[in-house]
This record gives sequence, C-alpha cells and structure tokens, in this order.
Amino acid sequence: MKKLYVNVRYLIVPVMTVTTIIGLFIGGIYAWIGVFLFGINTILDTLTKDIHLKADFDEDGNSYGIKIFQYSVMYLMLPIFIILQLALANNLYKFIYLEVLEISELVGSILSCGLWAGLGIIYGHELSHNKREGFNVSRAIMALSGASHFTYAHVYNHHLDLGHEDDPATAPRGRNVYAHAWLSHAGQSKFSYDLENAKLKKLNKSFFSLQNKWLLGYLYSLPSIILFVWSGGLVGVIALFIVWVISNFLLEALNFMGHYGLIRETGKPVEHRHSWDNDNLFTSWFFIEIGRQCDHHVRGETYFWELDDVKGPNYGIGYFSLFVLALIPSLFRKFTQKHLDNWDQNYATGAEKEIVNKYYVNELLQKASK
Amino acid sequence: MFKNFFNKKKSFAVNIFPGDQEISISRGETLLAGALRSGLAWPHKCQVGSCGRCRCKILEGKIRPEIDFNYVLDPVDVASGFVLACQSTAKTDIKVSVDLTHKRK
Ligand code: FES
Repeated sequence: MKKLYVNVRYLIVPVMTVTTIIGLFIGGIYAWIGVFLFGINTILDTLTKDIHLKADFDEDGNSYGIKIFQYSVMYLMLPIFIILQLALANNLYKFIYLEVLEISELVGSILSCGLWAGLGIIYGHELSHNKREGFNVSRAIMALSGASHFTYAHVYNHHLDLGHEDDPATAPRGRNVYAHAWLSHAGQSKFSYDLENAKLKKLNKSFFSLQNKWLLGYLYSLPSIILFVWSGGLVGVIALFIVWVISNFLLEALNFMGHYGLIRETGKPVEHRHSWDNDNLFTSWFFIEIGRQCDHHVRGETYFWELDDVKGPNYGIGYFSLFVLALIPSLFRKFTQKHLDNWDQNYATGAEKEIVNKYYVNELLQKASK
Repeated sequence: MFKNFFNKKKSFAVNIFPGDQEISISRGETLLAGALRSGLAWPHKCQVGSCGRCRCKILEGKIRPEIDFNYVLDPVDVASGFVLACQSTAKTDIKVSVDLTHKRK
C-alpha cells in the first residue's frame, strides 16, 4: 500500500496535462482548463504550505519508489507533451482556416499549452541526469520548448558552477525573475554553444557536424515550428513563440527559486547550503521532488524519489506560492531578505560572507551615486 | 546464442593500481559509486560527469561510458584509456589506475 502511495503521488502533472489536452480538444470554456488548473495548484500549494515531507524508505533503508514505473511515466510524458502541441495546433487550424473557434478559446488554448509545456522541465531535468536514452528523451522534451540546450548546460555548467557568477542559472541577489529568465536562458545556450565548439575543435570536426549537439538541439525544435506554421501561418508562429516564452519562463523561474542569492567561493565543492530546499507536500509531489535541490546538487544522479531533507536553507513555502511572490520583484526581495540574512549568518563560510559583504557595499555605493 | 544473455554476471572485480586493491561493483553501478561504497577515497566532486575530478585510466577490461567523455577529457587521453569513473559502468572485470592519495584542492 505504501509503495502504491509513494509512486502514485507523482502523477499529478501527467493527469493534469492529459486533462489540459482533453480541454483543448473539447474547446469552449474548457480550452482554459490548463490555466484554471494552474490557479488551483497555486491555492493547494499555499494551503498545504506548512506540511513538510521527508523521503519514504522501508526499515532496511530501501526506497519505495519503483524505478521502472517512474521511468515509464517520464518517457510517456514525451508523447503526451507532443500531443499537447498537436492539440494547440488543431485549435489554431480551426481558428484560422475553419473559422469555428473563438479568439477567447484560442487565447485559452495558447496559455494552457504554454503553462503545461513549461512543466516539461521537471522531466527534462530528471532525465538529463540519466544518461543514454533518458538523456535523449530529456533533449526531446526540452526541444518542444525550444530549449534543448538546457540538458547539456544543466549538467556541464549548472552542476559545476552553481552559486558562482559562471553559472547563468544562479540568480545573484537583486536580480528579478524577468531579467533572470532571459539572462539564464541566453547564458545557458551560449555555454552549450561554447561547449560544443570546444569539443569539435578538439576532435578536429567542423561546426556544422552531426556531433554538434547545440545545433542538433535547435533542429529538434524544427518539427514544432513546421507544425505551427502549417496550422496557423503567422498566427501559428506567434502562438508558438508565446508557448515558448511561457514555458521557458517557468523553467527559469525554477532555477531562480532554487538558488537565488546564494554564493559559493570559486573552486570550493558544492554543498547543501548552496541551494534552497523545498520540501512542501504539494510542491514535492507536483514537481517530482525537484525542490530537493540541496540533496540533488550533492548527489546529482540520485533518483528523485530517493532525494531527502538534508536540513539545507529553506524558504518554508512551496514553489507555486514562491512563484507568485517572484512575479512581484519588490515583494520577493522583501520576503527573501530575512532568509538571505539567515543564510549569511548561519550557513555561509567566512569567504562567502566576504563576497556577500562586497555585494552590499557595492549596492550602497550604487544607490549613493544615483 | 542466449547463453550469455541469461548468464550475465551480476558483479565485476575491479583491481585498483597502484596498491593493487580489489573491490567489486555491481552491474550498472558506476566505478565511482562502487569505490565510494567500498570506502575508498576516490577523488570526485560533481558526480555528474562535468568536473573531471574522478578521471582514471583503464589498464585492462571494458567499461561502458554513460556520457561522451570528450567534453571533459582530452580526446588524446580518452583514446589512451582515460575515463570518468562517475560515468563508467563495467562490462567486464577491470584493472584501473587512479591516484587515491590525492589532496582535495
Ligand atoms: S566526479 Fe566530476 S566528473 Fe566525475
């Protein structure tokens, strides 16, 4: 029974994504179901903010997670996300060529698709750490959002340079989520480009080689572009652009919330204190434990269902609630300041404190010069 | 034809040089995970194949690379048998050379 509970609880996103797809096919008010579900999740996350969980192990210390089941679900999410795009393309076609769809239905479809496509990150992320076929499924899922570079950048850049200015996915103090979304996206793509360039040079291969994973990643997104051009022409391109903006914004918001303001000294190992943990009930189940960043960054290849509470820094509220705060930068800064102060006092090393102090001195100088 | 398929070895012997220590790693387990489980101070940092700290040289036997080592290691070194222990699983018993007396930088 416990085994069933531990494994089934991670099915919220698959079930809700399929519900969103059905809503898109039915149309009418149901085209908005993805947006509605996102709102419901924010409420559920906020209501359960005080329930924190640990990982579940039996008396022998074995996890209840069933690998074959969890992997089957994650792989199955690739065709599900493809069908989600097909459902939107279908609505676009109905709007543009058949003229049987209202504009409000199309807007609902685009927003619903963008929000749920963005959740591809949780599978893209988990599978990026599981090599071979899992890695390729991760690339394919991310390519549906035009972000296939993520898989390489996440492993070779973020995991290595976390908490450091060389990591575009770590948001320094004072940056807001809107700036971060763009800077992190572009920075990771640039990293992936440089990584491939360096590899190809070492191997004496041309940039336009089939071994160029940066280039190939963008080519994987070509079917989506063709689909949307075919089904909606210019409107289709705009719709796909909006879907990609929303989904990449969600991806980068997760990066933003996972490491905002945390600092690591150059060359020092990544430790639990370099990430914000998130162990809220709804967040843990919905985001398949992606919030257990502290443990994840130290044991990068541990399956999500085995990641545990390691007493790292923690905002104490779930990702949906934190995301709402992040959308209002002044509120987010106010909320996070006390947690950052706590980190500075109780987690940071002497050298990390020095970096923090320099940041605040610079900030004061900048304010004074205005 | 199916003999090998059904008689797959469940674990492999890993001889580590210098020092000639022997450990056993399970099928599918990485060299680094097996070494750490056996209490060896194998150099490592990221454990995801990005830092290169766990590099070692395969002297004998075959491994299965879980990622393309060319991102982190020099292709010349890869050609001469260097691998990343955190991204290598054994296909046969192996002999490997690694410096276990390293100091963490
Ligand atoms: S520990 Fe970093 S590459 Fe193996």
